[in-house]
Parts: sequence; structure tokens; C-alpha cells
Amino acid sequence: MTAASAAESSAGPARPASTAETAEALRRSVARQFRRSLHIRTLDTGSCAACEQEIRLLAAPHYDLHRLGFFFTPAPRHADLLMVTGPMIRAFDIAARKTYAAMPGPKLVVATGACALGGVYSSDAFTHGGIGETLPVDVWIPGCPPSPLALLQGLLVAVDRLAEKVRELTFTQEGDHR
Amino acid sequence: MPLWFVRGLRRGVVTTRYPARPDSSAAALPTPPAFRPQALTRELADRLCLVCPSRALTRSGDVLVFDAGACTACGRCQEAAPEAVTPSGEFELAATDRGHLVKRIPLLGEGDS
Repeated sequence: MTAASAAESSAGPARPASTAETAEALRRSVARQFRRSLHIRTLDTGSCAACEQEIRLLAAPHYDLHRLGFFFTPAPRHADLLMVTGPMIRAFDIAARKTYAAMPGPKLVVATGACALGGVYSSDAFTHGGIGETLPVDVWIPGCPPSPLALLQGLLVAVDRLAEKVRELTFTQEGDHR
Repeated sequence: MPLWFVRGLRRGVVTTRYPARPDSSAAALPTPPAFRPQALTRELADRLCLVCPSRALTRSGDVLVFDAGACTACGRCQEAAPEAVTPSGEFELAATDRGHLVKRIPLLGEGDS
């Protein structure tokens, strides 16, 4: 602990960390920056708008996401997090890349809903069938549509305020459900 | 005094305490399925794969590969095999890696051909 803090306070770490360690430390420091205030821009890449309905409900009194320090913003220039819905239609490629490029760094991308995760549509002439190959995704939120509670959990996972839960789940019964 | 103000006073705080405390409406959400490996055979797994509208289920050998990211919680697999599939009740499914959502479920059922 003392060695680590001493290494942090000096000009550089005593021994070079591995790339994975550095990446994880960087990811955690970015999440820590966003812990108390995060501005969200939503991006619809051809979704059916069910995800948008659920995202809209986050601002309703029952969920009230502002109490957690999350805010929606109309401009990607002001956004820290891009919430992408839909299967990423090819006609939207340029707009999606420009939106991502317009955001100031550090920035996060959350794939929202089964379409964005590549579940509903397969890749064809009109759609990529998922946003993974167009944008660098940080958090994946499944669901069709994901409920506002699931979206809240996803946002809290993105800023490191909740631990990821699904990694340990096995989706089997027989007593050991997780 | 406007009526909405009085109504607000009567109903009290409606906002969920979600991250700190569980939300009461969570139990009513549609959730992805949980499987019973002992009840799953190859035939049943193939039937579930055909029934799934969003390609969340595939079979590879003696393993049923369930992609929770692709699952839309439509409930068709539960309808097709209620003895082997039930709702998992899990809605906190956010993952930091797409691979964390892909689960391998062993087929331990009797009566394989």
C-alpha cells in the first residue's frame, strides 16, 4: 500500500505494470471521475423506440436518475456517456462515428438493448446487427427493452458504483442459481 | 392550493431507493430463463433453439449455449418446456464484456439418442 502510493506520487511507477493492469487502472480512474456527475447522450441507431421509452422513464419521479448524479444532455459535445440503442443500421455509420468523435474524452459507450448487443438482427446489407464493430463499447445492457432498473444498474456499473453481477450467474437452477 | 400539491402530500415519496434497497416492482419484470441441466436432453435443446426468436440459444455438442445478451425474455422457451425452463428473476444484467453474457449450460438429461 505504502509502496504503491509512493510509486504513484513519484514521477513514474517503480516497475512497469503490464498493459492489462495499466488499462484497468485507467478505466477505474475514468469511472471515478464520473462517479458523482455523468452527462448522458442517447443515440438511436434504428431501434423500435421501446428502449427510448424506458430511457425516458429514467427521468420520471419513480426512478428519478438525477438523484444519482446522472443527467441527459442534448449535445454530444456535453456528454460523458453515449447510450446507443438499435442494431446500428449502415445508413447511420457516419452519424454514429461523428457523434462519438464530437464527445470530449474520456468517454464511455453503453450498448442498450438486445438489438445493440447483436441479438435480434443479423448483419446484412442494411444493418451491422449490433453496435460492437462500429463503436468501442464499455458496458452492455441486455433486455428487450431493458427496464429502467436494468438501465440504472448498467449506468452504475459504467461508473463503478455497482459491481457487475452477471459474470457469476450461470442461468441454471438446481439450488446453485449463481 | 393546486390539487396536485395536496395529492403529492398524500402520496408521499414515490421515488425508488433502488441501488441502496431493492425495488418492489423488480419481481414483476420479465427476466431471461434459467435452465435445469438435469431436464435438458439434446432433443429438447434443439427444440428450444428452434423456438427462440432471437438466436439466444444454440447447441454445441452436449452444451446449450445461452447468450443472455441476445435474449429478449419473450418466454417462448418456458412455454415450450416448463419442466426445464423457468424465469431466472435476474434483471441486473449489465456486463463490462460481451463474453460475460454468454453462458454454457451442460445437457445432463437422460434419453440421448
